[in-house]
Amino acid sequence: MGENIFVLGTLVAPLAGAVVALLFAKNNYAQRLVGLIASIVAWIFSTRVLLQVHQTGVQTYELGNWSPPYGIVLVADSLGGLFAFMVTTIMIGGMLYTLHSHDRCMTYPAFVPLFLLMEVGLVGAMLTGDLFTLFVFMELMVLASVSLTAISDDRFGLEAALKYILISSMGTLFLLLGVAAMYAALGTLNMADMARILLTGERPFLAPASALMLLCAFLLKSAVFPFHFWQPDFHTTAPTPVSAMLSSIVVKVGVYGIIRLVTLLFIVEAPLLQRWLALLGIIGVIFGSLGALRTYNAKRMLAYSTFAQIGFILVGIGWGNTLAMIGAIVYAFNHAFIKSSLLMLMGVVASYTKIKTANFASIGGIGHKLPPLTGWLVLVGGLSLAGVPPLNGFISKLALIRGGVVQQDWINLILLVGAGILTLIYMIRAWQHIFQREPTPETTPAKEEGDSLLAPMLLVIICLILGIVLAEPLLQLVTATVREIGDPNTYISAVNLPVGRP
Amino acid sequence: MIEFMFALAIGMLFGIGVFQLLRRDLIKAAIGFAILFSAINLFFVAVGAFEGEYAPYVSNVEAGRQTSDPLIQALILTAIVVSFGSFSLVLGLVNIISLRYGTVDSNAVNNLKH
Repeated sequence: MGENIFVLGTLVAPLAGAVVALLFAKNNYAQRLVGLIASIVAWIFSTRVLLQVHQTGVQTYELGNWSPPYGIVLVADSLGGLFAFMVTTIMIGGMLYTLHSHDRCMTYPAFVPLFLLMEVGLVGAMLTGDLFTLFVFMELMVLASVSLTAISDDRFGLEAALKYILISSMGTLFLLLGVAAMYAALGTLNMADMARILLTGERPFLAPASALMLLCAFLLKSAVFPFHFWQPDFHTTAPTPVSAMLSSIVVKVGVYGIIRLVTLLFIVEAPLLQRWLALLGIIGVIFGSLGALRTYNAKRMLAYSTFAQIGFILVGIGWGNTLAMIGAIVYAFNHAFIKSSLLMLMGVVASYTKIKTANFASIGGIGHKLPPLTGWLVLVGGLSLAGVPPLNGFISKLALIRGGVVQQDWINLILLVGAGILTLIYMIRAWQHIFQREPTPETTPAKEEGDSLLAPMLLVIICLILGIVLAEPLLQLVTATVREIGDPNTYISAVNLPVGRP
Repeated sequence: MIEFMFALAIGMLFGIGVFQLLRRDLIKAAIGFAILFSAINLFFVAVGAFEGEYAPYVSNVEAGRQTSDPLIQALILTAIVVSFGSFSLVLGLVNIISLRYGTVDSNAVNNLKH
């Protein structure tokens, strides 16, 4: 046990890519190619890990051959494997977009390495089995994404970056405090070991406090209601591929942490936490949808929409029964593809404006100048986000609502369906504004050439495939995942803990 | 007694850090950020070391007495490195903001509202 090199490879491939990309600092195109290759290699590794997880059980890798609980161990169980697979897949889309983008910020030699480091942080946070390492990876991800936003073409990127790093560092600080409190309470940092001790029903003095601190940190990372205020600014001003990553997979780190918290570490306290999660989620759903309805900027609209969609996922986790958990995880998986493709499409639209912006005033009616495919892709993506069959958004909403029916939480169900209709309204409104109106005097004259449609087109195709062909396999995969994380002993026994410790 | 002083120091650092972080001056906010991180690091020290314990590895331990936890030291070193990295990034951002806006007053740096 503990020897699966591919778990480590998923992490090392983008890291090595970042280093190699730095060597090509003079040649920007080569840098982007290196980034693409590194993300494809990481994708191959994570796919292999995911397959192995479902064939032979949880895969682990002990770093430096130090045995747990003292050494750091990477654990890919079906949840971590699925999320890492999602991250690496979306990341290929991001690198593809970068390959053909005309943004000035992507010509900086630090762009591609930082982008890959963000992937390292994401994958690492999802595959590590050690709480302190989780903190380190999360901080790596935060620093990389802040740097990427600070060099954005959008001149407000700097402000948003400062805002985010101050707020998110408070979150990281809470995470570190929670980790320290966990260590003080349990004397271990290994998540499996913690779960083993907490499962016995023992509750040392600081453990419940640390549960709350970890929860706050994760909520802040995924921009849930009381901690959401930085998110629209930050996601709007980031460079297009980065904001696509931020809105689709970076927010999922928090979701992943919350799922771990309620299914692995604090199972006894989970019902209490879940009640709060459902409440915060439903507030996020309502405010996010209303915010998206009223905003003046297409990218900002999608950022608010992310705020709402994370709310959907949290409500699913909050309901907590098996079907709702399946719904939440399927939702998290599908939303990543939908949101990244939509944000990239809005980036393509914005790239045709003279001064790059996604303000509705500037892009109203610009659709007549764009490649005709763009409108169709935005329409399909928007309908998928709203949950119209046969797209993958429908599958995830259906799976989630099934869980709500089992839970018989009718008020929240009605609110969720209402918010789904709001989603349809704001997506159609944006689509009509861009593609169906005649250009107004405020519309900036379009440039001849913009960013390539390749990456968002691939992601929209994946959305279609996930909705039509792969819906059933995905549901089965996630059902197996939920069955596995429903029993924390699977995770605990996979990590090679010494027997007979107190 | 020493543990009480320790707790008091951590609490005071926390208070000072939060107060500084909420200042309008961005440089003071950045400094508050660093102070907050040192409060956490000190908390980490407090987790591992107790009065009357021996230093690990270097001291001969009498029967019935324990050594301090050595793992904490490694963790704190990592935490310090991480906090140093983020602190320098914050200072870099504040530097560029001061060059671009001509001020570090956070009330003047609010163009995101439009």
